[in-house]
Amino acid sequence: MLKIIQHRKIWFIISGSLCLLSILSLIFWGLKPAIDFTGGTLMEIEFSQIPRPTVNEIKEALSPLNLGDLRIQYFGDKGVLFRLKNIDEDTHQKILKSLEDKFGSKDKKVIEEKRFESIGPIIGKELSNKAKWSITLVVIMIIVYVAWAFRRVSKPVSSWKYGLAAIAALVHDILITTGIFSVLGHFLNVEIDILFITALLTILGYSVNDTIVVFDRTRENLHRHPEEGFDEVVNRSVNETIVRSINTSLTTLFVLLSVFFLGGRTIRYFVLALIFGVIFGTYSSIFIASPLLVTWEKLRRKKQFKR
Amino acid sequence: MSKGRKIWLSLLAIIILAIFCLMVDLPKLPWDKAFFNWFSRQKIHLGLDLQGGTHLVYQADVSKIPVKDRASAIEGVRDVIERRVNAFGVSEPIVQTDKVGNQWRLIVELPGIKDVNQAIKMIGETPLLEFKEQNPNPQPKLTPQEKEEMEKYNQEAKKRAENVLKEALTPGSKFEELAKKYSEDEANRDKGGDLGWFGRGKMVKEFEEAVFDKMKKGEVYPKLVKTVFGYHIIKKIDEREKEENGKKVKEVKASHILIKTKSEADYLKQKDLWKYTGLTGKQLKRAQVEFDQTTGEPRVALEFNKEGKKLFAEITERNVGKPVAIFLDGSPISIPIVKEKISGGKAVITGKFDLKEAKKLAQRLQEGALPVPIKLISQQTIGPTLGKISLKKSLTAGLFGLLLIALFMIIYYRLPGLLAVIALCLYGGISLAIFKLIPVTLTLAGVAGFILSIGMAVDANVLIFERFKEEKKWGRSLDEAIEQGFKRAWPSIRDGNVSTLITCFILYYFGTSLIRGFGLTLGIGVLISMFSAIVVTRTFIRLVSRWSFLRKSNWLWGVKKIKVIENK
Repeated sequence: MLKIIQHRKIWFIISGSLCLLSILSLIFWGLKPAIDFTGGTLMEIEFSQIPRPTVNEIKEALSPLNLGDLRIQYFGDKGVLFRLKNIDEDTHQKILKSLEDKFGSKDKKVIEEKRFESIGPIIGKELSNKAKWSITLVVIMIIVYVAWAFRRVSKPVSSWKYGLAAIAALVHDILITTGIFSVLGHFLNVEIDILFITALLTILGYSVNDTIVVFDRTRENLHRHPEEGFDEVVNRSVNETIVRSINTSLTTLFVLLSVFFLGGRTIRYFVLALIFGVIFGTYSSIFIASPLLVTWEKLRRKKQFKR
Repeated sequence: MSKGRKIWLSLLAIIILAIFCLMVDLPKLPWDKAFFNWFSRQKIHLGLDLQGGTHLVYQADVSKIPVKDRASAIEGVRDVIERRVNAFGVSEPIVQTDKVGNQWRLIVELPGIKDVNQAIKMIGETPLLEFKEQNPNPQPKLTPQEKEEMEKYNQEAKKRAENVLKEALTPGSKFEELAKKYSEDEANRDKGGDLGWFGRGKMVKEFEEAVFDKMKKGEVYPKLVKTVFGYHIIKKIDEREKEENGKKVKEVKASHILIKTKSEADYLKQKDLWKYTGLTGKQLKRAQVEFDQTTGEPRVALEFNKEGKKLFAEITERNVGKPVAIFLDGSPISIPIVKEKISGGKAVITGKFDLKEAKKLAQRLQEGALPVPIKLISQQTIGPTLGKISLKKSLTAGLFGLLLIALFMIIYYRLPGLLAVIALCLYGGISLAIFKLIPVTLTLAGVAGFILSIGMAVDANVLIFERFKEEKKWGRSLDEAIEQGFKRAWPSIRDGNVSTLITCFILYYFGTSLIRGFGLTLGIGVLISMFSAIVVTRTFIRLVSRWSFLRKSNWLWGVKKIKVIENK
């Protein structure tokens, strides 16, 4: 039997430092919100001309249009990604025309527009409000649900403590995943869009599953092995469920990884967020949620002893 | 019913379900009968990001419409846009209204559209036709801010005029050239400010007094002359007497330089003078070109629908002898005076347009006029190639993921794993059929949700099989271990899936169309996966566990050959 509970300090230190690093990254680097939330324009263009024009050439071609803060990035072999403020359809057409005039010749079109999104600031604001609401609602409903699911467990740890431990594990998963995206945002300009929020919500729903499975087993073993100490029962439960926790995550990771490597570029970071969520969700349900329960119980004992 | 019979019956039900789903899933069935054609008609609905297309959000400006009429005005906009959009010939366009707070929106989705720019133009260009009556209480006063602005402007105008006057009075200066340079009277600026010959009564009073009574021939008047138009610098060129009706009349030839000032009327805008009547292009039945019988000039004849006819009669009735303005795209194109009540529901727009313009106007009005102005606030366009590539890639990824899961399940759990994989294939078939039948619009995120649900679908199997192995280890017989495995794993499966379903519900409820797809496919996937992992797999396992040659091998069931183990 693996001594997971007994070594809980190690896991607490690992998770504690990861959480701390995430918080630091969020404080100092923050997150890069995508145009979904801020409003703005995202435009993907493919040049058939090889090599494609340099960033400076493109900027120069568009400078008469006064587009403000214009960020240009290469993608793939031929693609160029434009990020700028929210523009109207006229300006959009002017941009396309300027590029075609500058880089194309009379009889040959050189650019093809793959994607164009221009989102007004009002829509962005509404969406970010919606996102905040949905996260709050999901968290509340899951807390209520976990509390309800463990309503019958009462000895020696009361049911709300199971709920709190599960929530602590969730916060841990979300915090680290967001922290990773803050780092990715800082170094690779990865942006937080509505899909990222969706991924977070999905992680909230999914990661609590594993925790519930372990707690279910703890509940069962408390009846089955009344002679064992609480920490032994919990350690036994974690050991008995560790294979299934890992296997269920593995099957989910298989599909996520194949979408990450083979799927479309547009959902790559969405899937990456899910992958981190699943990995940390599984880790936390084994190494954080149950050890937390035991620590809690020990603290309670100490208090009683002192009295 | 014996146990064996029950299993066979479940299997039969599962096979029938599988065949039904397969028939729905297949794009075309080989038999050409009405019954089978129903199956072939079921299509997968792909979202804009997969088939390419555009998603437009328009904000409707309803500020000038009474609150109670707003909803119906928006419905009118939707109908008109729908008519316009149908003309593009895209399959399954969506035009819907959306109210966010107190803002009205229109969402237009055009799947597979090639020329988005053209589409936006055609939607946006649709004319806004309004009939307005005079506002009995036009805002009579300027806001303090406007007043201040006006006074400031006029002071500056005076200063400029004084400078010009100084220049004009300087000996050797040429009045004509100064007029060309400074005058703001566009009618005669290029002629050096020349107003030609005129008699008394032609000019405003202040101007007349100066040129007729105070000035000598060839003189530039040394003061500024202030009129309603602004400040004039005047040069009297010549004067003469003319015989008219037996009387001698004095005529003057003069030039001037005008520096305009602003009056309150410039600030009191048109919109305040005209009032919304409720009659708009929405109530238009027909618009066509006809010719004025006396002048032969082209004009546009309008015919209203029943509602418009009634409204128009009311408007004309209460405005007899007063003007009613016809506004097109926010500016008046014709302001006829109402002679009598018009109850026939017909009106004409006369204006200074030629035949071509009249035809174009009539056509635009015929195609539909918007009852309220709209503004494009958000546009998302995905090129058709990008969508196709995304779809192909996702499908490849999904198949590859499925293959990995199948390998893992079979290697790790052996015979039960194989059965779970068969159930998983059935799960895929059922999901696809349900997506077609509901129908669910599949977006890229939706496909990701579906693929994710494949990964989650076997979770239940993993839980059951692990439990089964444990029960077996604890010394139960094969049949008992199977039943216990399913029974004991159920609470965990249920609890785990409920939390995912909560998330899916909220994603569906709060999400944009992109996110909804994800919530919906994941949610449906989770529900079906419970069915396939529990009902279907259990039937399969119960069936194969009856065959003695399969029962004997512990290897096939992935359990060690240990009879009884102490569970302490």
